[in-house]
Amino acid sequence: MENTSKRKTIGIWLLSAVVVLFAAFPAHGAIDGITGTTFNLTARPGYISTAEGGSYLMWGYANGIGSGAMQYPGPTLIVNQGDVVTVNLSNQLTMPVSIVFPGQSAVTATGGTPGLLTREAAPGGTDTVSYTFTAAQPGTYTYYSGTRPELQIEMGLVGALIVRPTTNPATQAYNHPDSQFDHEYLFLLSEIDPIIHDQVSAGNMALVDNTTYFPVYWMINGRTGPDTMTPANNPLLPNQPYNSMPMMHPGEKILLRMIGGGRDMHPFHTHGNHHKVIARDGRLLSSGVGADLAEMAFTTTVVPGSTADAIFGWTGDRLGWDMYGHTAGDPLQPNEYAPDHGKPFPVTLPTQLEVTNGQFFSGSPFLGTMGYIPPGEGGFNPNSGFLYMWHSHNEKEIVNNDIFPGGLMTMMIIEAPGVVLDNP
Amino acid sequence: MKIRRVLSIIGLQFIGLIFCALSEGVVNVQCPGDIDGDAQWTGAEVQPPNTQCIHLAAGDGFVTMADGHLQYTFGFSEVTGVLPEDVMSTGMLAAEFPGPTIKVKEGSNVYLTLTNVGMIRRPDLFDPHSVHFHGFPNAAPIFDGEPMASLAINMGSSLTYYYQAPEPGTYMYHCHVEATEHMQMGMLANLWVTPLQDGTTVGGCTAQQYVFNDGDGSTCYDLDFPIQLSGFDSIFHDLHIAVQPLPFAMMKDNYPMINGRGYPDTINPNPLSAPAENGGIQSQLMSSLITATAGQKILLRVSSLGTVDFYTLSVLGIPMRVVGRDARILRSSSGQNLSYITNSVTLGGGESYDIILDTAGIAPGTYFLYAKDLNNLSNNTEDFGGMMTEIVIL
Repeated sequence: MENTSKRKTIGIWLLSAVVVLFAAFPAHGAIDGITGTTFNLTARPGYISTAEGGSYLMWGYANGIGSGAMQYPGPTLIVNQGDVVTVNLSNQLTMPVSIVFPGQSAVTATGGTPGLLTREAAPGGTDTVSYTFTAAQPGTYTYYSGTRPELQIEMGLVGALIVRPTTNPATQAYNHPDSQFDHEYLFLLSEIDPIIHDQVSAGNMALVDNTTYFPVYWMINGRTGPDTMTPANNPLLPNQPYNSMPMMHPGEKILLRMIGGGRDMHPFHTHGNHHKVIARDGRLLSSGVGADLAEMAFTTTVVPGSTADAIFGWTGDRLGWDMYGHTAGDPLQPNEYAPDHGKPFPVTLPTQLEVTNGQFFSGSPFLGTMGYIPPGEGGFNPNSGFLYMWHSHNEKEIVNNDIFPGGLMTMMIIEAPGVVLDNP
Repeated sequence: MKIRRVLSIIGLQFIGLIFCALSEGVVNVQCPGDIDGDAQWTGAEVQPPNTQCIHLAAGDGFVTMADGHLQYTFGFSEVTGVLPEDVMSTGMLAAEFPGPTIKVKEGSNVYLTLTNVGMIRRPDLFDPHSVHFHGFPNAAPIFDGEPMASLAINMGSSLTYYYQAPEPGTYMYHCHVEATEHMQMGMLANLWVTPLQDGTTVGGCTAQQYVFNDGDGSTCYDLDFPIQLSGFDSIFHDLHIAVQPLPFAMMKDNYPMINGRGYPDTINPNPLSAPAENGGIQSQLMSSLITATAGQKILLRVSSLGTVDFYTLSVLGIPMRVVGRDARILRSSSGQNLSYITNSVTLGGGESYDIILDTAGIAPGTYFLYAKDLNNLSNNTEDFGGMMTEIVIL
């Protein structure tokens, strides 16, 4: 890689890490969104930022009728199984707009004007269409525009819908313990082709060409890496409120709610361990007994318009060495793999002059233990956690336009037992 | 042109001198029981039980596409068995594509030493390298090879990775440093873990080889073959050797390959001829010609490390039984066999499939394994090539 771009990249990393470490934001749930049974959304334009400095016009669903900031993706709607859900949509764009709710049955639309797939809100801001359905089945769903979807979803009119189960809604994704989790995170994966956005921005609607589609930005929850790792509701990203910063302790479980939010498939790879895909499109992979047909995978292809739920766990068992650097007489940590207790680290690491330390390396192979790192290297892992990259494994997609690294990537953090998670 | 060649020779000599000066003592192989540092046990050296050692060099080199186009690459090369003082000279310009296949036994103590021998044709670069053991469960960052969360080895030095070989199956390994660039440049290879069940007869499996510890012989096979999918964007590689800014955003593969070759090079049973630019070192060692006797069970260890595309792979005339995916047997949690017959599989980067072709009752002849996304049947503008190979049933 060229030195100039490398410097620029490192600068971006430093900036974002500083934001992660020091900004004081209000506490929030790990999946940010809005709850209730009635939601008011407005389709309106706004701009998003990409991590290498780009700015692009988007159309998004704002939270409010005639108010609220355009956001990409739209507000995550969080409802309970059995709720009768109403979504009211108004439109400040220059063309009609609508919402479809794939996976929901018997959606009724009232108001607005008839469209091809559903009723639409006419442009101008005064027309309102209402969609109503019963959230009959728990799970992870998406919603997006049913009007010129080839253009409008690219422009940003897409969001997540989460239906919580009646059984243990705070700790299960479905009505079965196989879906139990300690922490849950959203991974809405998408991509954009800036040429389309530039043409729309310039008002050249006739020049928008969907047949030459060639994305150069890839996103998690509407942000490109490393912006994915800055906090939710970061004021520097006013139209991209959702982050992607999964965290856990050894032995805990993360629920990944994955959504294909664009038009391309993305192979999502979890460093650290396999994940167990327990559901697709809001249904447990089941022959009738829990998630008995779940699939273990180290990479899951996330398909456009579809969702998948997976459980990720990490214990560090069978490493063959003690990941805490214990000696045999030391007490066990919670969830520690006892057979490896006190086993020495198996190799000698090279000297500092022989290695390049990563920004998130603690200087030590051991969880929760800081080691020596030369000045100017590392330093963005204050609790000496274990960090794992979660990213698209079509590696072209971990760049921001021509700048590596970025794109569809984030880092998952395993913190030592007892460390309070910033993003629970 | 002449000036460039002179400059490049001077550059080569200069870098060579630096390595000669540095190489003393910094090639450091850690392999229990091995005294002379060649990652093998010879003479009086005693191999500890249940231990495997591998030594790889990471550097650069050249490969030839099936239409004759020469491509500059980064890659891994095999230096197991090479004495430390010879590793630099052996590893330079020796990048293999794909890298050496690593086959380890479940539960064994694996010591993999990576020595960064530098990119001699890009003396302006100082890139570190790593090995990411893609898919190994419960990895620790220090040995995961993802450089932001750990460390990567600088030019002229060695880092030893340790793993207790995990659950059996088809994994892959690649360099994770500046992954988009280093993987597009060819730092990819096969990594397999064989099950403890091997060497025992289960379910009448006389070959005594299995993909998984299946307990019933349902993943028994006679022969296994790597089918690693990848692609090259020739513009990216051409700009790379020309020391130009790299087109990350515009990356678009035009050479789809199986095991580092396009058809018909895939069916050449021998290593391809060495490019002169490598100094005569062979760099494409892996044939994809599959030969079996009717009645045998062929295991295809399919993986994709393409950096751009999804690929759909198909076999004409022989049913494909998918028995595993991402190094896990297809079983329900209650033990029900979920393997299935298909005639195509689709892979994104970083996915793997274990597919058994049962050739019982298959007529002798030649069968084709090829990409069904048909634009991948090309070597750049040359038609009828790319991601295709042959299965010969005798």
